[in-house]
Amino acid sequence: MITYLVRRILWLIPVLFFVALITFTLMHSAPGGPWDRDLEARQVDKRTQELLNQKFGLDKPLFINLSGGNPFDSQFINYIWGAVRGDLGPSYRQRGQDVQDILFKPPEDKPFWYSKFGYSARLGILAVLFAVVFGIPLGVIAALNRNTLIDYFTLFISTVGISVPNFVLAIFLIILFASRLKLIRIVQQNWDSPGAWIIPAVILGFGTFAYVTRLTRSTMLEVMQQDYIRTARAKGLAERVVVIRHMLRNALIPVVTILGPALAALVTGSFIIEQMFAFPGMGRAFVTSITQRDYSMIMGTVLVYAFLVAIANLSVDLVYGILDPRIKVGD
Amino acid sequence: MTAQAPTIEQNLLTQTLSRPSRSLWRDAWHRLLRNRAAVVSGIIILIFIFVGIAAPVLAPHNPLKVHDGKGYLPPAWVKEGPTGKSGDPAFPLGTDTLGRDVLSRTIYGTRVSMVVGIIPTIIILVIGVSVGLFAGYRGGRVDNLLMRFADIIYAFPDLLFFIIVMAALRETPIGRLLNGLLLLFVALSLVNWVGLARLVRGQVLSLKEKEFVEAGRMIGASSIRIMLRHLLPNTLGPIIVSTAFRIPGLIITEAILGYLGIGLRPATDPNAIFITSWGALMLDGQAALNSQPWVLLTPAICVALVVLAFNYVGDGLRDALDPRLAGTE
Amino acid sequence: MSTRKWSVALGIVVILSMLLSACAAPTPQVVEKVVTQVVTQEKVVEKPVEKIVEKVITPTPAPVAVQKKLRINLGTYPDIIDPQKSSFVNEIAHLRLIYEGLTKLDKDLKTVPGSAEKWEYNADATELTFTLRKGLKYSDGSLLNAARFAYAIKRNIDPETAGEYAQITDEIKGAPEWRGFEDDPQKSKEENAKARAEAKKVVDQSVLPLHPDGKACVGEKPADVYKDPDCTVLKLTFSRPAPYFHTVMSLWVTFPAKEENIAASEQWWNSSKYQIGNGPYILKALEPYVRAHFVPNPNYYGEKAKTDIEYSYIVDSKVAFEAYKNNEFDIIGAAAEDLEVIKKDPNLSKELMTYPGSCTFAVMFHQLKEPFTDQKVRQAFAQAFDREAWVRDVLKGLGSPTLTWIPPGFPGYDPNEKRWGFDPEAAKKALAESKYGGADKLPPIKLTFSDSPRNRTRYEWLAAKWKEVLGVSVTLDPVESTTYTALTKDIKTAPLAFILGWCADYPDPQNWLSVYWKTGAFGERIGYSNKDFDALVDKADVELDAAKRMELYAQAQRLLTDGVPVAFAWNNVNNYLVKPWVKGIVTTPQDSEWPGAIASLTSVDIDTAALPKK
Repeated sequence: MITYLVRRILWLIPVLFFVALITFTLMHSAPGGPWDRDLEARQVDKRTQELLNQKFGLDKPLFINLSGGNPFDSQFINYIWGAVRGDLGPSYRQRGQDVQDILFKPPEDKPFWYSKFGYSARLGILAVLFAVVFGIPLGVIAALNRNTLIDYFTLFISTVGISVPNFVLAIFLIILFASRLKLIRIVQQNWDSPGAWIIPAVILGFGTFAYVTRLTRSTMLEVMQQDYIRTARAKGLAERVVVIRHMLRNALIPVVTILGPALAALVTGSFIIEQMFAFPGMGRAFVTSITQRDYSMIMGTVLVYAFLVAIANLSVDLVYGILDPRIKVGD
Repeated sequence: MTAQAPTIEQNLLTQTLSRPSRSLWRDAWHRLLRNRAAVVSGIIILIFIFVGIAAPVLAPHNPLKVHDGKGYLPPAWVKEGPTGKSGDPAFPLGTDTLGRDVLSRTIYGTRVSMVVGIIPTIIILVIGVSVGLFAGYRGGRVDNLLMRFADIIYAFPDLLFFIIVMAALRETPIGRLLNGLLLLFVALSLVNWVGLARLVRGQVLSLKEKEFVEAGRMIGASSIRIMLRHLLPNTLGPIIVSTAFRIPGLIITEAILGYLGIGLRPATDPNAIFITSWGALMLDGQAALNSQPWVLLTPAICVALVVLAFNYVGDGLRDALDPRLAGTE
Repeated sequence: MSTRKWSVALGIVVILSMLLSACAAPTPQVVEKVVTQVVTQEKVVEKPVEKIVEKVITPTPAPVAVQKKLRINLGTYPDIIDPQKSSFVNEIAHLRLIYEGLTKLDKDLKTVPGSAEKWEYNADATELTFTLRKGLKYSDGSLLNAARFAYAIKRNIDPETAGEYAQITDEIKGAPEWRGFEDDPQKSKEENAKARAEAKKVVDQSVLPLHPDGKACVGEKPADVYKDPDCTVLKLTFSRPAPYFHTVMSLWVTFPAKEENIAASEQWWNSSKYQIGNGPYILKALEPYVRAHFVPNPNYYGEKAKTDIEYSYIVDSKVAFEAYKNNEFDIIGAAAEDLEVIKKDPNLSKELMTYPGSCTFAVMFHQLKEPFTDQKVRQAFAQAFDREAWVRDVLKGLGSPTLTWIPPGFPGYDPNEKRWGFDPEAAKKALAESKYGGADKLPPIKLTFSDSPRNRTRYEWLAAKWKEVLGVSVTLDPVESTTYTALTKDIKTAPLAFILGWCADYPDPQNWLSVYWKTGAFGERIGYSNKDFDALVDKADVELDAAKRMELYAQAQRLLTDGVPVAFAWNNVNNYLVKPWVKGIVTTPQDSEWPGAIASLTSVDIDTAALPKK
């Protein structure tokens, strides 16, 4: 088990390396660069552009320096070398700030959870919690009451969840809760108040919630037909015990598979919430860095995400072993 | 609930005794036809596909035709819309900002959205299921290798990957094929198969230790036979659910890419095959929610219908293919 | 592992995450109160250093009962709020509150005294001398003298800064050389460093802080010069006559951020501690991506600001609109899509503020690519463009049609230009007269644009109209936004036809004509180069007689239109929703981000009596 774990963790290194390599190649093949601005603004003049390129080392070759000097003095190798030492480089658009500071450094005198990553992580966790806490029971209930009104209702809810993109869901919830019912404020004065988080978390987690509900229902139906359930019932176990100990535990395996990656996606995917609620998370950095060609920011955010996903997948594999002891993870 | 158990056993018994020659798939087909919800849903899907194909015949107007001064018209039955205009029978579902017919645009949108939803899904299913089955069943080094390769692809944030790929390759000849649809298919499939592969593998890992697989192995069934006859049918539940979700998911992803300015290329040629999509319509509608909510509602209802239809067909398929559930309805 | 263990684990996760989200909840109301107390009484001081400062501030114990706050939605959060590095309107909207230049613009876009009380040019306009107001102070009470402005101007030129607007001060003698200094690889390091220092020295000599008697300001240590209260004169020397330069000095690039603050931290601009300025407001608190809170600056030399200002950063226009309707914002920008709804609503329609903006948009034709090499073809496309319908049906009134380059309200606007307007018959005739002879013989035409849902509808309309009037099939070519920018920058890759706008940096025809259309300037990307035009604007740029100068620019502008290099199309329109209790707004076409951002910073106020009851 321990060797397995160590091996998996070591494997993270090549995974991250290849992710970096692919991202780097792709982003540099996109036309334009960090100094190409929105057309309505005045464009940076040629000389300034050269100066900026020199300043940030963007005048160097991409992969291998063939100019005669040090062959490793290239943009990619310099980046990797920096990243290994925990330096994700300076942002080209939010000048004066390093990528790791933008993502992970909280404002003065605040704890880590006030950094952009911290905000996104809190919101992502809340969203997944919402998806799990409501999705799994709803799925179980739907399965136990197959083809009844309750089942149809959950089908309706999850259909809404999947067919309405969250930028649409968000505006509807805002109109409903803020404009009509006057229950929340739209302009959040304060992300310290827990109430402010509810609607954003629901919007962010709704798609996952819908998916979890359907998946739980489906796997529950499957599990309900298994021999061991009949055996358990035959043994005269209480229905509650049968459902929780035998059915749910087995039904959870596919759900767990998607939850890890879903968490990683939600933590980094708060872009639309940020656009709508002025939420200080990291989703914006993710999306706008690409259109801005903020190279170091693109690399930084992709690597952070890749790391999260890799960790999430590793945890999923470990949880498999816990949920179903027959699976030999160590193979 | 408990009363079901004997029924299944009886069924299994009758199956094995009286109809030994029928194949699993033919059996499943018959069971599927008996599921009314699935049949109705299947018909709905077929209708959508038909609408997509026959769009030029069905659309009352050219979807690109700008009707001057007829912007923001509400649906025909609405007396007064948010902008004070009233419906016009010539435009049953109203018009958009420029005065283009919403019904015609929705009809044409069906075409793109069905294609975007279905083609990548097929690619994803083929790759994802075979890799997942193989990796899960073989285990060991093969599993490790495939899954670690999957790790690399999986580690990319989906949306970010789309954006980078589209930004990088959109202006190349490949990116321009079929209004950019081809590149979209490739990007969508490339990212999505991994999730499915992992899901299938997870199922197989737990299934392959089960009695019936052991039994299959004992009587000397080939690996392929075990995978296809025993493992695949038993992993179908999650596969079908995820597929039923994937199709609308893809349709919406296309919308979000449009939101970010890297979606399908718009056509100006009225004879072009792919003109607009539901996703693009939803975007138009969302932007102008206050003045023309119907532009959002129409495609949203279509997507919801497709989701429901695929869900029911999916449910039906799963039940039909699951030998243990046979004949329970 | 048993079920119990599993559920315990799940429970722990649940509790942990609740803690995470709740741990940061030290009663919101209290936090807010502290902030308002700071504002009204200037009592709470965090650091001992600021305590000294506090004594200077206090003499305004005005008994304000409720602190007024003007809440504005600004949309996108700035990338950088640094006077010498910023270039976007949302960034500048912050800088304009915190800082002020030597000059500023009034409601008629005339250049009026800012921190300088007067200025004068020498006889041939190659020297410009500013005299600062007496007793100028920063918001923290410290002295503001001419050396501070000299530092700001030089920092803008400094290649180390690599600011995005560095070239705007290129008239200053030695500025282009220092800014563009490149090491000579043939020479040694020391020689290069020496040459660089020489280049800098030239600029040092042409941006000179002086005493009123003409003596240079010097301190024992370099920083001492900032403590010299008599250093009140700033002399600029140009490499050529620049009679418009006092207007350039109203730009944000000359805002005097403090050298020691900039040196203190790479991220100085992200902190209210270091954003110490001389403008009508103080940046009290900055929560990135959430809000920025500004309070009146009691040390401002002129009329004091009357209300707090709070910027919020909600990007989605529909959400902002909902928030406005809920009275959570006092000012928001009105989106084109919502305009018809607003106009129909009896209350909202009264709160809508619409007035001309500072940008002109035009369809650019690439002069060196077929078929737009032919003037008749360009003319045909220009005359087939119904600007009225475009503004009405496509922009939904968010614009006004134009046939000339400089927009109305700006010096140099030509109301008599009527050529190449919409005229389907003339358009068809021009096309027939072209060397192609007709629509069917034209080479393929591609209209390129930056892809967004909004742009798609716009360009689909334009293509449909050209088809209708001229019978020409125009292919649409949407490209991703940055790709589009990159393409349009270079004459080789610039698309055949595309729409581009130019917004005034400062209100002078020089900024519209010389900066844009002179050979080698922005217009070159579509291959525009006209020797006669160059000669005219060169003459105008150095002309000292104001009337004569305007006449030369007017000639140049007509000459530009002669050859139909582009189809001038529309001017943008400022559209804002403003609550009825917001008073004292004076608008200018140059406003960006909110109405009155140029000319009514100190007069804008909130009528507390008119506020809705809670």
